[in-house]
Amino acid sequence: MAQSFPYTYYACDCYDNNTSTSAKRASQILAEADEEDRTFDPRNPRSNYALYPLEHLLYCDDCQQIRCPRCVIEETLNWYCPSCLFEVPSSVVKSDGNRCTRNCFNCPVCISPMTVNSIENPDAPSATGGPYILACPYCHWSTIETGIEFEKHTGVHGQLARVANGGTPVPTPKEREKERERRKEFEARQRDSRNLLSPSQDSPTSDLHRDSALPSRDDVFSNLGAFYKSQIEAQTPSNPFSAHDLNFSSPSAYSRIMNLYSSAGAKKQKRGKPSPMREAASELEGLHVYDTVSDNAAIERIKRDGWGSTLSQTQKLAQIDPHANFEDELRPIATLLCTKRSKRCRSCRHILSKPESKITSTRYKIKVLALSHIPRLSIRALPNNAAPSTPSAPSTPAFSQQSFSYSNLRSGIPTHFLLQLSNPLFDNVRVTLATPSTTPGKIQTRVTILCPQFEVGANTDVWDDALSSSVPSATRSSAADGQIEAGKIWDRGRNWTSVVIEVVPGFLRPITGFGQADQADELDEDDDLLEIPIFVRLEFETEANAEERGLGDSRGSKGEKEQREAAFWTVVGAGRIAAM
Amino acid sequence: MSAQPAPSRPGPDRRSSTVPKRTSILPKPSSIALDPSVLIAQHAQITGTHPITLGPNTVLHPHSRISSALAPVVLGEGVVVYERAKVGVGLGPDLDAESRRSSMRSSGGTIRSDGVVLGRNVVVEANAIVEAAEVGEGSVVEVGAVLGRGCVVGKYCTISPSSIVAPNTRLPDYTVVYGGSEHRLDKTLQLRPEILDAKMAVHRKQLEMFKKLVPNQVAKWTV
Ligand SMILES: [Zn+2]
Ligand SMILES: [Zn+2]
Ligand SMILES: [Zn+2]
Ligand SMILES: [Zn+2]
Repeated sequence: MAQSFPYTYYACDCYDNNTSTSAKRASQILAEADEEDRTFDPRNPRSNYALYPLEHLLYCDDCQQIRCPRCVIEETLNWYCPSCLFEVPSSVVKSDGNRCTRNCFNCPVCISPMTVNSIENPDAPSATGGPYILACPYCHWSTIETGIEFEKHTGVHGQLARVANGGTPVPTPKEREKERERRKEFEARQRDSRNLLSPSQDSPTSDLHRDSALPSRDDVFSNLGAFYKSQIEAQTPSNPFSAHDLNFSSPSAYSRIMNLYSSAGAKKQKRGKPSPMREAASELEGLHVYDTVSDNAAIERIKRDGWGSTLSQTQKLAQIDPHANFEDELRPIATLLCTKRSKRCRSCRHILSKPESKITSTRYKIKVLALSHIPRLSIRALPNNAAPSTPSAPSTPAFSQQSFSYSNLRSGIPTHFLLQLSNPLFDNVRVTLATPSTTPGKIQTRVTILCPQFEVGANTDVWDDALSSSVPSATRSSAADGQIEAGKIWDRGRNWTSVVIEVVPGFLRPITGFGQADQADELDEDDDLLEIPIFVRLEFETEANAEERGLGDSRGSKGEKEQREAAFWTVVGAGRIAAM
Repeated sequence: MSAQPAPSRPGPDRRSSTVPKRTSILPKPSSIALDPSVLIAQHAQITGTHPITLGPNTVLHPHSRISSALAPVVLGEGVVVYERAKVGVGLGPDLDAESRRSSMRSSGGTIRSDGVVLGRNVVVEANAIVEAAEVGEGSVVEVGAVLGRGCVVGKYCTISPSSIVAPNTRLPDYTVVYGGSEHRLDKTLQLRPEILDAKMAVHRKQLEMFKKLVPNQVAKWTV
C-alpha cells in the first residue's frame, strides 16, 4: 500500500461471496455482517486482494455492485502493434505469433523502439537508398554490431528472418531438408565404407564434421522436428479414417481421449497399442550432445573480452534464443502485440467496459465506472484550530495547521479527521457509517464517528445550487462555529457532507510495562499503520428502472420510485503512528 | 536568476564601463576571446572573471549560460550550446548560491580546477550542465544530462538524456552513457567511420542553418 496518506480503499467482497451475489439484497448482506459480527480486517492477508481505490473499480448496473478486477471477465477485442498501431487479425496471431511482422523492433540492449536508418554512401548512391540498418536512437546499438544490413527499408521482419548474425543467410526449410538428406546419405555411405575397413579420409567428411561441431539452435530444432514427423508418419496407417487407427492428431485419437474421461459405460473395442517410439539418436535426428567445447569457448571469451561482452539477465530473457550469452548473439526484438479488451461482469455477463475497436482511438464505447455510482469517501485531517493537541509538540514544526503530518500521528492524543462523502447520484442518499470502536490489529486505536447517520444531497446541476437562494442551514453544521459536537455534521455542500471522526492512536509499546520489554509483542511491519475499516450503508430512492420492473407493470407507472440500498466496506488510511 | 555568481568583487573599472542595461550588473569576463565567426544569440549569458575562449563557428543559443566564475572555459570549433544549457565549473545543481560564494572566496587555492574545455563539434543540448574538465571531439551531452566536475569525456561519446555522470569520471572514446548509469561502447561508430562522417556533415549543415536562422548578437560582446 504505497499510496500517500490519506487514502481510501473500497472492499469488493467477491471472494467470499461467490454465491449468486446478484440475488442478495444489501440488507441481507448487512444482516449477515451484523450476525457474524464480522468486521472487515485490513490486516487480513486476504484483504490485499479485496481492496481497491475507487478509480480502479467498475460497476455492474444489473447486479448493482462494484466490480473489481477479480470479478470481471476480460475478452480480447483485437490485437495490434503498439508501435505502428496496425491491427493484426487473430488468425494471423495464431499462425505468426504475437509479434509485429512489419518494421517494429525493440532494442535488445535497452528495449527502446528502433528506427530504420539508411547508411547509403553519398558518393555511390544506390537505387533503393540502402543499405539500411536497425538502430537504437537511445543507446546507439545497431544491427551493424551483429553484421546485419537490409536492402529495403520495408519488410524488415522478413529480411531479418533470412539473415543470421554476421550476415550469413538462414537456410529455408527446404534447403535444410536437402542438406539433411545429403548428410544422411553421406553418413550411410561412410558407415558402409567403415564396414569395409577403409576409413575414408575424404575432405568433405572432415568438412562436414567441422561445421557440425556446433549446430545452431535452428538446425537442432528443424532436425528434431523432421525426426518426430518421420516417427509419426511411420506409425500412421494408410487409411487415416479407419476406426482402429491410433495415429496422432487424428479425430479418432481425440475421441479416444474423450472416452477416457467419459463414464466407462460402453465396452470399448480393443485397440492395438502403438509401439513405443524411439527417441532421437543422432545429431541429424536432433540429438544435442552436451559438449564442453562450447563452455570452454565461452570461458575463454569472457577472459578475453570481460563481463562487458556478456548479456544481462533481462537482455537474455528478451531474446528468442534462451542460450544467447554474448553481445554479438543479440537479435532485434520484434515488438510484442497488445490487445484491446472489453470487460464483463462475472456473474451476469453484462458488459462493463468496451473500448472503441479502432486502434488509434483511446475512447470507450461503454465504461461503467464505480466513480459515478458509488459515493466517494475521503478522509483528511481537520484543520487544527479546534484540536487541543497542537502545543504539546513544539519540536515538530511540521505538525502545524498548514501541513498535517499524516505519517507522524501521536499515540494517545485525540486527533480529529474529516470524513467526507460526495454523492455522484442524482438522488438524495441517507448514509449510515459504522466502524469498530477499536481498530483490529495489535495496536488498538480508538475510533469514534461523531455523526454516523446523515444525509448527502443529490448531484444536481451545479447551477441549481448557485441559483437557489436557500443556503444550506448553517445552524446544522459545526463548521460555522468551529465546535466539534457529537451528532452534528461538520459541513455540507450541494452533493457532499462531511462529519468528524475522532481517532485516539494506540501505543506502539504498552505503557504499563516500561521496564520489562514485552518480547511476545514484537511489532510487524506496517503495524504502526492506522487503517480504519468503515462500513458504509446507503439508502436512497430512485426512479425505478424500466428493465427492472419487468414487462408486466412497465406501462403507465412512470416516475415510480424504488427504494434501494447499498452497503460495502471501505478502509481509510489515516496515517502512521509515530514511534515514541 | 538570483543565483548568478555573486558580484563580490566586480572590478570597479568594469562597473563603470559603458555596457548598457542589465548585463552591466554581471561581472564580465576579464577576457573573452571570440572568433569572428561565433554566433551568440540574444539572452545568451557569458559571465565570470576567468578568461573565456569561443572557437570558430561556435553557437550559443538564447538563455544558454557560460560561466567562468571559478575557472576558465574554452569552447572549441563548432561547439553548440542549446537553450538553458550551462557550461562552466560551479554551475552544477549541487552547489547552492551560498556554497558557491564561499567556494569562490577560497578559489585562490582549492578549486582552481583546470576549467572546462569542450572539443570540436561538441553539442550541449537543452538544460544540460557541463562542469567536466574536458569533453572530446564530437561528443553529445543530451537534454538535461549532467557532467560532474573534473570528468574527462573522450571523443564521440553520447551522454543520453538526464544521465548524471559523477565527478572525476573518465569515459573512453565512443562511450554511451544510458539508462542511468549503464555504459557501453558505440561499436557502430567504431566499425563504420563513414557513419561518423555523415554525422559530422549533418552537424556542419546545422551550424550553417543556425547562422541563417538565429540573429547574431555577437557585437554586444566584442566591445
Ligand atoms: Zn470483486
Ligand atoms: Zn508494428
Ligand atoms: Zn538501445
Ligand atoms: Zn453483473
